[in-house]
Amino acid sequence: MDLAAKYASEGPRYTSYPTAPQFRQDFALEQYLAWQRKDGDHKRAPLSLYLHLPFCNDICYYCACNKIVTRQPGVARQYLDRLAKDIEVQSQLVGKQRPITQMHWGGGTPTYLDNAEITELMHLLASHFRLLDKGYREYSIEIDPRTVHNSTIALLKGVGFNRISLGIQDFDPLVQKAVNRIQPYSEVAPLVDCIRSHDFRSLSFDLIYGLPHQDRHTMDETLRKVIALRPDRIACYNYAHLPGRFSSQRAIDRLTLPQPEEKLLLQQIISHTLQDAGYLHIGMDHYVLPEDELAIALAEGRLQRNFQGYSLHMADDLLGLGVSSISQMGDFYLQNEREIDGYYKAIDAGELPATRGCKVTTEDKLRRHIIMSLICDLKLDITECNHQFGVDFRDRFAVELASLEPMRADGLLDISDNEIVISRRGRPFLRNICMPFDAYLNAHQGDRPPPKFSATL
Amino acid sequence: MTSRLATSGTHDTLTPCTHDYQVNCGNCRLNSICLPLALESDDVKQLDNIIQRSKPLQKSQHLYREGDDFQSVFAVRSGTLKAYKTTDDGREQVTAFYFPGEILGMDGISNNTHASSARALETAAVCEIPFSSLEKLSAMMPTLQRHFFQLMSREITEDQQLITLLSKNSADERVASLMLSISARNARRKLSATQFRLPMSRVDIGNYLGLTVETVSRVFSRMQKMDILSVDNKEIKILEVEGLRSMANMGA
Repeated sequence: MDLAAKYASEGPRYTSYPTAPQFRQDFALEQYLAWQRKDGDHKRAPLSLYLHLPFCNDICYYCACNKIVTRQPGVARQYLDRLAKDIEVQSQLVGKQRPITQMHWGGGTPTYLDNAEITELMHLLASHFRLLDKGYREYSIEIDPRTVHNSTIALLKGVGFNRISLGIQDFDPLVQKAVNRIQPYSEVAPLVDCIRSHDFRSLSFDLIYGLPHQDRHTMDETLRKVIALRPDRIACYNYAHLPGRFSSQRAIDRLTLPQPEEKLLLQQIISHTLQDAGYLHIGMDHYVLPEDELAIALAEGRLQRNFQGYSLHMADDLLGLGVSSISQMGDFYLQNEREIDGYYKAIDAGELPATRGCKVTTEDKLRRHIIMSLICDLKLDITECNHQFGVDFRDRFAVELASLEPMRADGLLDISDNEIVISRRGRPFLRNICMPFDAYLNAHQGDRPPPKFSATL
Repeated sequence: MTSRLATSGTHDTLTPCTHDYQVNCGNCRLNSICLPLALESDDVKQLDNIIQRSKPLQKSQHLYREGDDFQSVFAVRSGTLKAYKTTDDGREQVTAFYFPGEILGMDGISNNTHASSARALETAAVCEIPFSSLEKLSAMMPTLQRHFFQLMSREITEDQQLITLLSKNSADERVASLMLSISARNARRKLSATQFRLPMSRVDIGNYLGLTVETVSRVFSRMQKMDILSVDNKEIKILEVEGLRSMANMGA
């Protein structure tokens, strides 16, 4: 277990490269707009949509998402009115021709919206983008089990969603109480039945390890219940305790948190238990049933990692709508204004709400390829990389390879002439393995002070 | 005789009839179901202005047919209508029943043609709401727009629940669910939730629920034997709501 102590450090989760802290206000917005206005394949290629719905009824203490906890009536209405303009402006810029092969509503709590608002929003999207109703598409929504009735599930199916992701986190009553998210198994199980009865293509659970009061026994019990409900996908996130950055986390007693070596044990319990139950381990933190598309995507090399975690690569570009959401379009990353007031102000002034971003350089693309290959496929094909980018990997990344040496000695990975392969042992340390290839860790270029990253373990 | 009412001025739609079908929205006893509650009285007047009322549909007369151009949505004022689609092999598939206060015709919004036909099961009066005027008015009246999305979501939800009901549930569950639905809709109009007359035939019920007429009758007899319902031809009396609910397996 001393590996845990040795590699306990802080680092990005690599949902993008360059990572969001590297975005700047003075990015090449004009160049981006010019690219969008130019005709080309990028005006017809498939597109993913992400919608951020920031409101929550209650606060979950662990949460590090961009969210607004409120029960004030009318906030959803005000937000929807702005989102309507955002959608209109973006659809004019991006075009209506691009087939929307993937869509995800995240939050916050998307089901903070009531049935009429959900219908309205989908209607709005359908009248401004080319949503698909046939063929393969992934339209998913995050659900807080405490907020939905069976009729909402029926509605979600009816307006076109085919995937649901449930925020489960943990089933233990004490853990749920400590994080202020009480949702007993007895309430979740009938909801899962209802989702199944409406024939959603896939159901996914989010779990978190590293929460207060979690130990091997509570984790065993939570996993037993999870396996009984048999979701198609399970995402297990590592709780990052950063009370300095996320004030709600101050409500969590530091002394009740599992220590790094215990956390590693929890991660191993999750990994063994789920794999024994027939799940495949994908990437850093996902487990899927063998017939799930992600398992197939992995085998075909079509797995991607973006701001929503791992998914099937169906579109090169991702358009983010709503406060704080991030777009990845062509060679650009753009992030919408992160504060709701600023977002409203930009929208009301008729401006594009993107306030930060960066243009991906050739060097970034090379490094992104390396990091994403490692984090998705758990290996890097050096020959292919040399071929694709016209570099001599060993020469170009001699320093990086040298810093991987201790990890190789610890059995976390194997380096041969034509590939880097991460071992089973190295999997929990994926972020550590990617970090040497991140050129910005020691050369911060963002216009805000460099963030304190979450613990890698 | 006409398949669509009140869409053409050549019909003598202005001739008053004994039935007071011209009553305006402000005085209609269904307005709490059909109208957004928060609509100001001025707004009601504006809405009233776009609504066209025509003489009642006779039994088995069509309100619109599958493939007709979509121009309006309709609110049922009295009577009951059924919506149905014609399958590829020419059979009729009942897709919904509409009771007073309910809105139909929204199946035409997406493609601008009606995706199903609607026919009166008994003499029925409807208010016609031209969609283009409704859209214009909605843009000016946010409450109306919201109400409209609410109606659309209800429609979608009910469709999905019916699909689930048909694909997963037993004959008992299906019939019990329909009885509960009719009961709840009656209650919404301040009518008896436990005693009502079925406006549709056993054939329509069977068709809607994907069951044979014989099965529907057998389920009714079973319910009578269990003292959950009493059935006298079309007259239904719910004797034990809880029993009916557990039979319907509500919650699924």
